[in-house]
Amino acid sequence: MTIKKISKKDMVKLLADWGLDSTVLIPSRDEGVIEMAEWDGKDISFLEWYRNTVIPPKSSFLPPMEEMFTFQKNGNGYSIEVSAEQRKRIIFGIRPCDAKAIAILDKVFMDSCEDPYYVSKRKNTMLIGLGCNKPYDSCFCTSSGLSPTESADVDLMFTDIGDDFLIEEITDEGEELLATAGAVKKASQADVASLKKARAAVEGMVTRKVDTKNIIEKLQASFGDSDYWEKAADKCISCGVCTLLCPTCYCFDICDELTKKHGARYRGWDSCGFSIYTKMPMENPREEKWRRVRQKVCHKYEFFPMNYGVIACTGCGRCIRSCPVNWDITHVLGSVPVEQPIKNR
Amino acid sequence: MEQELRKEAKKLLEDGKVDYIVGFAAGTLKFSTTPLITRDKEEVASLVINPFIVNNLAKFLTQLPGRVGIVAKGCDSRSIVSLIQDNQVTRDNLVIIGVPCSGLIDMVKVEKLVDRDRDEIDNIAIKGETVAVVISKETMELPIEKVLFDNCLDCKHPSAQEYDTFIGEPNDTICVRGTGEDKIKELEGMTSEERWEFWRTQFSRCIKCYACRQACPACFCERCFVEESEPKWVLPLPKWQDNLIFQVIRNIHVAGRCTDCGACERVCPVNIPLRSLTKKMCGLVSEMFSYEAGMDKNAPPLMTAYEYEEAKDLIR
Repeated sequence: MTIKKISKKDMVKLLADWGLDSTVLIPSRDEGVIEMAEWDGKDISFLEWYRNTVIPPKSSFLPPMEEMFTFQKNGNGYSIEVSAEQRKRIIFGIRPCDAKAIAILDKVFMDSCEDPYYVSKRKNTMLIGLGCNKPYDSCFCTSSGLSPTESADVDLMFTDIGDDFLIEEITDEGEELLATAGAVKKASQADVASLKKARAAVEGMVTRKVDTKNIIEKLQASFGDSDYWEKAADKCISCGVCTLLCPTCYCFDICDELTKKHGARYRGWDSCGFSIYTKMPMENPREEKWRRVRQKVCHKYEFFPMNYGVIACTGCGRCIRSCPVNWDITHVLGSVPVEQPIKNR
Repeated sequence: MEQELRKEAKKLLEDGKVDYIVGFAAGTLKFSTTPLITRDKEEVASLVINPFIVNNLAKFLTQLPGRVGIVAKGCDSRSIVSLIQDNQVTRDNLVIIGVPCSGLIDMVKVEKLVDRDRDEIDNIAIKGETVAVVISKETMELPIEKVLFDNCLDCKHPSAQEYDTFIGEPNDTICVRGTGEDKIKELEGMTSEERWEFWRTQFSRCIKCYACRQACPACFCERCFVEESEPKWVLPLPKWQDNLIFQVIRNIHVAGRCTDCGACERVCPVNIPLRSLTKKMCGLVSEMFSYEAGMDKNAPPLMTAYEYEEAKDLIR
C-alpha cells in the first residue's frame, strides 16, 4: 500500500474535486448538534473543532425516518412508487469506530439479507476515514479491539500529522478517488515515521477501558440473575437516547400515513429500550425495565457476536456522553457477575 | 453538607424508616452526577450535592415500591408534591430530605463560552456571583447568570418546599436573576410565520427518543398517547410536524404539573429548546388560574378543579 499525503491547505480543492460528481458529506454543526451533512463547497473549519458527531453516521444509511414508497388509489386498485436513493456520495471524516459500525450494519442489511433501501445508499457511498486527534473521555474503542486512528472499514484513511494529512488507500475505489486529485503527493519516509508517532500518541489518550474477555460466557451466566440486572437498570429512564444514537443499533419501526386517496409508508429508528417495543396483544415479554436493559447489553455483547462473530459495540461512547442519567455501559460490563446460577429467565 | 446528608440517609435506612434512598452520586464523566437508588446503607456514603445534580429525582418515585427517602431540590420537591396531588405517590411513604440549591450549572453554556468540551475543562467552581473555569492552569471567570440553566435563572423556590428534614439552610431568594425568559421573549417578538419557521427547524432535529417525556416527573401516564395506534394521534416516527404536535399535547397534559425544573430541555440530545414551550405554558397557567404547580399537596390537581369564576374568561 502506498501512503500519500495532502496539505491541509489543499483540502478545499480535494473536496471540491470530489464534489464534481458526488455529494460530499462532512461533519457539520447545527445548534451544537454535530452530524454528517452536505458540504457547502467552502467551509472546512470542522478540521479545527471536530471530535465526533452526535448523530451517528448510520443516519446516512438508515435515516431516523425514510420514505419506503408512496401509493395512490386509481379506480379499483393502487399504484405504488418505490422511493430510491441513487446519489453518489462521499462521507468525509468518519471515525474508525463509526466506520466499523457501518461494517457491522453491512452484515445485517447486506450480507444476511439484502435490504434495498440500505444497499442502494451503501453501494453509492464512499467512506473517507479521519483518525481521531482527541478522543473523548467517554471513548473506549481500544477495548472493542479498535484503534482511534486506524481503520480497514473505509475506502481511504486520513491521519493528521500537523500541516498535512497522510492518506492510506484501503480499497481500489479509494485509490481511484485519489488518482485524479491534483494536490495529492507521495508521502516520504519521514512522513510515515510521523504517522506512527501520531498514532501512538492518540492511542494513549483512550483511557476508558472495559474488560471484554469471556464477555459472552459472563453474560450467559448472569442472564438469569434478575437481582443484578434490576440493580444495573434501576436509574435507567427508558428513553431511546443510547440506542438511537448508537452507531450499530439498527432496530426500526414501519408505519403508514394515509389520506383518502394516497399515502406513504415510512420506516425509522426504534429502540428496544421502549416498553412497547415488544408489546403484543396478549403479553409483553420485556415489560420490566431490567429485561430491556439486559436485552440491550446482551444483544451487543452476547447475541450479536454469537450470530455474526463480532461485538456490536465499537466503543464510540455516545451512549455514555448523551445519557440523561449517566448510565455507563462500561461500568455495567465491568460488574457483570462472573458465576451465577440461572434462576429466573 | 454532604456528610450531613450521608449520615441522615444512613440513619433512615438503619432505623428502617425507608426501604430506599434516592439521591445523587458522582457520575462517570467530568462534571456529571448520576441518580443513586439504593437500599444499601454503605452505598449512601457516595451521595453528593453539587451544582451538577441535574436530574429531577421525583421521576423515580412512581416506580419504587415501599418507603422512599428522597433528596429534593426546590423543583424536585414541587414535582413530588404534584405527584402527591395526583395520587401517584403517598406522602406517608416518603421521607423528603430537602437540600438548598443555588442554581445548577449548564455545561452546554459553559462549553460554548469557553469554546471547549466538557472533558477538556479541569475545574469549575462557583465563587459568589462568578464561576471560575480552569483549563490547563488558566482560569476564566464567568458571570454566574451566563452559566446557570435558564430555569434556574427564573427560580423562585430554589429550596425544597415540602420536606421532613432539611440539610443545610433553606434559601429562597438567591436564584432569581430575571434573564431566564429571554428566549421566550425573543419568540414572542417574532411574527407567527417566523415563529413557525423557528419551531419547524427545531423539531426537524428531533429523533423521537422521548428522553423529554421519560425524564419528566409530570409524565406519569402508563401509556402515552403517542403509543396509541387506534386512533393513531401522531406518527411514531420523527416527522417534524408530528414531533411538534407531540410536544404541544405533552405541554397541555403537564399544565398545572410542570414545575419548570427544565429536565426535558436538559436531556434533549439534539438541543431543542423545549423549555420555551413549558415555561410559556407555566406562565399561562399562572395568568389564567393564578396557580403555581407543586406548592400545596392538599390542593386538587389544577385541571380536575373548576371554579365558577373561570367560566367568564375560559368558556366563551
